[in-house]
Amino acid sequence: MSIRILFSSLRRNSLMPSLVLLQVALACAILCNVLFLAWQQMEPMLAPSGVDGNDLILVDGLDAPDRAWTAAEVQAGTDALRTVPGVRAASAALGLPMVVSFVNMRAFRGPTGAAVGVNVYEGYDLLDTLGLQLVSGRNFLPGEYRDLNSEQGKGVPEPVIITQSLARQLFGDASPLGQVLHSPEETKGPGSVVVGVVRHLLRNRMNVATDGRADDTVLTPERVATSPWLAYAVRVDPAMREAALRGVRKAIESQFDSLLPVGSKPKAESYAARRDKVFKSRRATLELFAGVALTVVIVTVIGIMGLTGFWVQKRTRQIGIRRALGARRIDILRYFLAENALIVGIGVVLGMTLAYFGNAWLMRYYELPRLPWTWLPLGALLMLLLGQLAVLSPALRAARVPPVVATRSV
Amino acid sequence: MLRYSFELAALGLRRFPKSTVLVVLTAALGLAACMTTLTLLHVLSADPLPGRSQNLYLAWVDTVLAKPSNAGADIMAMNGFKTNNYHTIKLADAQALLAAHRAAQQSVVVDVVADEVSDDGRHAQNQQMVLATTSDFIPMFGVALRYGRDWTPAEDAARAPVAVIDTDLAQKLFGTPNAVGKSVRLKKTLFRVVGVIQPYVLQPHFYALSGGDYSSDGGENLYVPYAAALDAGLAPYTTDGCDDARHGKFGDAPDPAHCAVLGLWVQLDTPQQVAAYRTYLQNYVEQQKDLGSFGKPPRSELTGVAEWMKQNNVVPDSVRLNVWLAASFLLLCMVNVAGLLAARFLRRSGDVGVRRALGAPRRAVFLQHVLESGLACLVGGVLALPLTWLGLWILRQQSSDFAGLAHLDPAMFGSLFALALAVGVLVGLLPAWRMSRVEPGLQVKGE
Repeated sequence: MSIRILFSSLRRNSLMPSLVLLQVALACAILCNVLFLAWQQMEPMLAPSGVDGNDLILVDGLDAPDRAWTAAEVQAGTDALRTVPGVRAASAALGLPMVVSFVNMRAFRGPTGAAVGVNVYEGYDLLDTLGLQLVSGRNFLPGEYRDLNSEQGKGVPEPVIITQSLARQLFGDASPLGQVLHSPEETKGPGSVVVGVVRHLLRNRMNVATDGRADDTVLTPERVATSPWLAYAVRVDPAMREAALRGVRKAIESQFDSLLPVGSKPKAESYAARRDKVFKSRRATLELFAGVALTVVIVTVIGIMGLTGFWVQKRTRQIGIRRALGARRIDILRYFLAENALIVGIGVVLGMTLAYFGNAWLMRYYELPRLPWTWLPLGALLMLLLGQLAVLSPALRAARVPPVVATRSV
Repeated sequence: MLRYSFELAALGLRRFPKSTVLVVLTAALGLAACMTTLTLLHVLSADPLPGRSQNLYLAWVDTVLAKPSNAGADIMAMNGFKTNNYHTIKLADAQALLAAHRAAQQSVVVDVVADEVSDDGRHAQNQQMVLATTSDFIPMFGVALRYGRDWTPAEDAARAPVAVIDTDLAQKLFGTPNAVGKSVRLKKTLFRVVGVIQPYVLQPHFYALSGGDYSSDGGENLYVPYAAALDAGLAPYTTDGCDDARHGKFGDAPDPAHCAVLGLWVQLDTPQQVAAYRTYLQNYVEQQKDLGSFGKPPRSELTGVAEWMKQNNVVPDSVRLNVWLAASFLLLCMVNVAGLLAARFLRRSGDVGVRRALGAPRRAVFLQHVLESGLACLVGGVLALPLTWLGLWILRQQSSDFAGLAHLDPAMFGSLFALALAVGVLVGLLPAWRMSRVEPGLQVKGE
């Protein structure tokens, strides 16, 4: 069976095929964009955090807008947490994964020329407390820690621990250890020296944790001091999670309640509970997109089925003639599947173009990420499969048309 | 003829009930998606203060003695934060511009955060948004007074610790809406309540965008004279920039004497007044000697409400994008419906052939089929109404600061049916035209 027969049949009666084609094109364009938008929401949720989150408790809400926590108060808090039964380690920190109320940020430019915006987690021995996996280099030395907002360590490069992904972006294939990083606008000054690399560490600015930027995070050796904000990360004994959480809450209450403004509520929660809350709105948006995509799919399948069903029925006589002339059932089935593939194929080419230019056009007016072209074949493949699925039942019905129909004059 | 066509159309709808249901459902889905997103856009881009907003302008003079630096903004941008310039000004400029009285009404506006405690210390509302402003704010922005009075310009000048609170706060702190004469403690200062207003929530919260584009939690419930607020140590939390010499330390509240923190809104009723005020502002900034010696060009701006909301992207891009997405989905549904209708119409080619052979003009056939399609989509529109409610409910479950505003109003209710009818006629055109081309002879012969 040549494709020319297919074409000439389509040309002779073009209303139905062109409606199917238009539907497929539109559905393909919408699906590509919706799936991409959904992926954007999903990326931060799928990114590995690098944190050993099972036995981790995060404490925040310790904001003192009218004063600043002194180094002694912060240390007293850490000490109180360490004495709680079941607690293995506690670190005071500014900036923690899944704590989105306080976002600490900087930017670095590396030898590759790439300038990368990063989130900074400052605190004492966060590497161990968060349970991060060091792949090269070392943890900070006790002597390297400095008090936040103090003159300590001015003039010497500040040690930093970066992530593997950050190392690749800033240094390419070169070893990052011992290299000096500067912020993009000031290339002079001591800068920061890389002393260690961890496998993963999820940033806490989630909106930009997409397109391979999820791990753009650094650790710095800082003791929290003279800061109105404060948070703690607490590692607990897996066997005593519940008891430790209660203990941590009690310790925070007795340590900070009298110092905090009236009505402040410090929050001590497990990492998992935090993660759940942070991603709640993302999940809601994701469900919305999934609903939209599903509706588009259903509408398109129904549309194709309805149109093809009618079109097949109209050609019952021709099918009968073909069968009478010796065509097998499988030939008829193949004919309709091929015809659908042809129409849908043209439709998706049109749809991919529409998706690409639609996205480019919207990008001119709105803040929207560019639709990577790799998404286009995905939407196209999906549409082709859906098309074949939708045509299956009408095509099977056509294949069942007996040859004797040709002799009737319906 | 119209009536006959109408009857035929209604009859036609009942003939293939299964495909009618499909047509109606598809149309309803497309319409509901479109209406849901359009309603949100409509609510968010509505005039926040009809009748007044066109006369309100935000006045800005750039007198901050600091070299324009993008360093902070770049780092913010790389981490996905947008830095906005809220067109705030320093204290001295606000005082000078207020004192000049060049506008019909004028008020300084700045949001501060404070714990509101009743005078007996027994009830408190923590971390509330407090509006520090001047006496003109209430008449200028059309705030409705329930009890007592607005504070006077004299009290503004005397830096008197007076306050106007809303009925909700009065109820919470004092157990009665009429709290005139009571006092509210902010930090260490007692502010005497002179008036009680109806809760005043503007959407968008355009007059102080630094406090959020939309007042999701009900806006400010307490107003105080800004001078008295500064005396009480209530400090604003954001600034557009500070003089180089006085860069606020990390975490410090910006000092209004050296940092741009105050918004200045003026009411100008005629284009002449607007032009005159614009000239006055520019002259004012050109006369600032410090600025000249610092080497910064004198800049001033006067921005109307609509322009101001546009500049600050108050209606989020995602809302407009969703409208486009929904519109393309409606288009998909329309093509779908057109196809389904064409299929069901063409099944009746025989009947139409007979009608045409008996003398029915093409026009009648066309009209009948367009009516049938319009009718189907109108039914779809009725079905779209609960679906739109459902869609808006889903939107309200999304956690953004404006999601709670998504409600259907009568105007959008009406436009739903207009849209349904338009869609119905539009999708019916092609299949109906195809039907009106049916040749009488051929069909009769074919049968």
